Amino acid sequence: MHFAIRFLTEYLYDAPVTDNLNALRVRPATTTSQRCDEFTVRIDPEARVGRHSDYFGTEVLEFGIVRPHTRLSIDARARVVTADQPDPPEAPWSGAETETYAEAAGEYLLPLADDPLSDTLDELVDAVRAESPLATLEGLCELIPERYAYRTGVTYVGSTVEEFLEAGAGVCQDYVHLGLIMLRRNGIAARYVSGYLWAAPEDGGDDSVEVETHAWLEALLPSENGRGEPMWVAADPTNRQLAGERHVKIGHGRHYADVPPIRGVYQGRAASKLDASVHMTRLNPQASARA
Amino acid sequence: MSDVEIARAQDAYRPAKGFYDELFDDDGTPRPHAVALAAALAALGHEQLAAAGRRRDTIFVQQGITFDAAGEDGPTLERPFPLDLVPRILPASQWTHIKRGIAQRIRALNRFVDDVYHAREIVRAGIVPWRLVVSRSHFARAAHGIRPPGGVYCHVAGCDLVRDYDGSWKVLEDNVRTPSGISYVLENRVAMTRLVPALFADYRVRPVDHYPQLLLAALRAVAPTAEGEATVVVWTPGPLNSAYFEHAFLARQMGVELVEASDLVVRDDVVYMRTTHGLQRVHAVYRRLDDDFIDPLEFRADSVLGVPGLMRAYRAGTVALANAVGTGVADDKAIYHWVPDMIRFYLGEEPLLDNVRTYLMSDREAMEEALQRMDELVFKPTGESGGKGVFIGPATDPVELAGLADVIRRSPEKWIASVVACVARAREGATTVRDVISAEMWEAINTTYLRLRDGDLSRPVLSGPILLYQHVKERSALFWGLTARTMLRDEASAFLYAGGRIEAGDMVLRMLRVALPADDANSPDDGHAIALLQAVGGLQAYRRAVPAPAHAGPVARFLLFERNYPDSVAAAVDAVNGALRTADAQPRGSEPILRLSRLSADLEFRRSAEGDADLGVTCREVQRELGFVDADIAQRYFGGARAA
Repeated sequence: MHFAIRFLTEYLYDAPVTDNLNALRVRPATTTSQRCDEFTVRIDPEARVGRHSDYFGTEVLEFGIVRPHTRLSIDARARVVTADQPDPPEAPWSGAETETYAEAAGEYLLPLADDPLSDTLDELVDAVRAESPLATLEGLCELIPERYAYRTGVTYVGSTVEEFLEAGAGVCQDYVHLGLIMLRRNGIAARYVSGYLWAAPEDGGDDSVEVETHAWLEALLPSENGRGEPMWVAADPTNRQLAGERHVKIGHGRHYADVPPIRGVYQGRAASKLDASVHMTRLNPQASARA
Repeated sequence: MSDVEIARAQDAYRPAKGFYDELFDDDGTPRPHAVALAAALAALGHEQLAAAGRRRDTIFVQQGITFDAAGEDGPTLERPFPLDLVPRILPASQWTHIKRGIAQRIRALNRFVDDVYHAREIVRAGIVPWRLVVSRSHFARAAHGIRPPGGVYCHVAGCDLVRDYDGSWKVLEDNVRTPSGISYVLENRVAMTRLVPALFADYRVRPVDHYPQLLLAALRAVAPTAEGEATVVVWTPGPLNSAYFEHAFLARQMGVELVEASDLVVRDDVVYMRTTHGLQRVHAVYRRLDDDFIDPLEFRADSVLGVPGLMRAYRAGTVALANAVGTGVADDKAIYHWVPDMIRFYLGEEPLLDNVRTYLMSDREAMEEALQRMDELVFKPTGESGGKGVFIGPATDPVELAGLADVIRRSPEKWIASVVACVARAREGATTVRDVISAEMWEAINTTYLRLRDGDLSRPVLSGPILLYQHVKERSALFWGLTARTMLRDEASAFLYAGGRIEAGDMVLRMLRVALPADDANSPDDGHAIALLQAVGGLQAYRRAVPAPAHAGPVARFLLFERNYPDSVAAAVDAVNGALRTADAQPRGSEPILRLSRLSADLEFRRSAEGDADLGVTCREVQRELGFVDADIAQRYFGGARAA
């Protein structure tokens, strides 16, 4: 599928701020399932934008605005082509216990410092385990939305998994953090993915109903015959399915904090108001090629 | 053994079995290199050695060479650094061996850090598992792909050595993040040469006091600019850090600025330091903060000790950080196990110094064996430093409850307590600027503080605190005298002076407002007026300057307007003005200087105005203006920081 994506963010400060430094992770990645054809970003007030790839391979855009200002606007546009991910491999659990798997898994199998201890969690970890890693992954995409309602305003970007479990409801980020723990504790390496999701509107139009960046996960599944390389398979627990061509990936990490869309610091005693939105439009392939 | 214990036990001293004794061999004769030392110790005798120990403690406390620790008497206090006056002698041949072994080790660790953040060759070769590296708490993903100037990561390293029972040296642990303690080495050497020179007399001892020059040369060598032009700074988290003394000490010895995060700013990927002349580029930073705190944009977002954008400048290669970001992956206790392999892999050499035999608890077999012998082993958590969390099997007793309780000093009268509190705050303030004040100034404040802290204040409270106040007054005068004589006349002294004069002016105004009768300034009741003059020490000056008797009105005018009396308000205003003009490169644009000039003119106007009726109003208004001046100074020169 072809998409035009516009990521628009505006900050309003109630008093002038200076030395406003920001790092953006908003550019769609180029992977085996996706290609970013065009990408521009405009900052107002104008600023020179530096780019580099971080440790996880995500493209980071950095800029700084020195002089006093009360408004910052970030306007990023991209054109992306996506394809469905290849069929996930069917393999038994033994495939996840080999040296090859452990090497490919690396840090994505490791528990994070703030992983909670909880009976609920233990129970979920046991409940999700199915007859194979793939079946577990698919089951997880059903189990989490079954147990936990999708509701905004209950959790926030800094909420822990513990808080989410207690609250009983949350958003995509919480689903993913929980899913990561459930997979890792079952010996399946998993990583957090940040990106955009095109959600088809009811009337069948081309504009997405999704208006924010989205979170899903990738699980490392052992190869079918146990001899090939394990494969990262994307799954979206919020939408109860494996990910596909409607998912546009920005980057991945161990958790949200490794791929935040925006991270910034400024000088000044002002409070800021944030207005962020994502417009995603499906394009006709011919139109997209000509544009 | 400590020097006091040796002094007492010298006649009965026998080397312990199973340990390598530094001075004596197994049958009690001094080792060849220690013969002269043993003789000198015997000649010195118990008494002198013990006395030297007491002098050492006094000097260290006076000079602030202390560290915070809990002692036998209970709670955590500043203790004098425990320097043992009996030295450990390393003959040149032994030292050469140690030096080569450590240099080899540091070179290997440096290569390891570079490898881990780039090609990961040692992982590909199957020697160190990647999962181990990436799970270290100090593995810094932000350092991935960055190569610092000169390819140097471990500019400063501290290796802990231990002497094994057979006399060989082994490395106990490496410290390559922000190793601390060199200032003690330097101060200890100075103390030794002064306290027990007799022990040195027969030895040619290599000096250590050139360390600051070595450090400075190293920082300049890696600075990304022509060598003569490099601006180097020491970056401290601030005076609350327990090693602050060392940060200030090194900055002073190297002749470079000591900065905190608020003094630094990154613009366009370049690091600058704020000065009264504007921004000055910084090329090399000797930083004494852990990675986690250095940049809220890349590491801990809640760190107010960090400089936003520092990693950008670092990535762009415009600034050298010593030590480099991410070195902690190499001094992790679990990685320690592989250092001999690193030496073989990167250098193709055999290690000159061995590790201590280590059991990794992540290895099940090793863990079982270790748990069988817990009372013979030392257990350490892998990610810590400085002995935190270490559990020493053979030395662990059941917990002893506190011994003597510390004497709790109660201040029975509020005003005595506030004098003590003021002096304590002055000392805190002096601590933060130790890098720019003279040692004499520091000691003047410190000994005043110590005398108040440790002295018995109950008698002055009961019998009248005059003597105590007298003492504090005299010490204050001493401090200012020392300032005038020993402090370099630079910006720092200008601001110190300005601050002192603002306080003096404010103090006189407060006292005037209290002492001036509300209704009739010409009242013949002069009791208060004379007391006021005596309080500021201006009675004689008044008598020489003013023909009128010491009534409230003339005294008030004298203290307000008489520029020839140094503690008058007008003189204070002029003094602050003069001090700021010295410090400020652009006085015409300076709000506090403009305000002070206006205030000075206003005072002159009021002086020549008729009548004393509105002196009370004058005092209030002038005091308010001085308050604004103080705020202006903070705004213009200190980034708006409020005084504590």
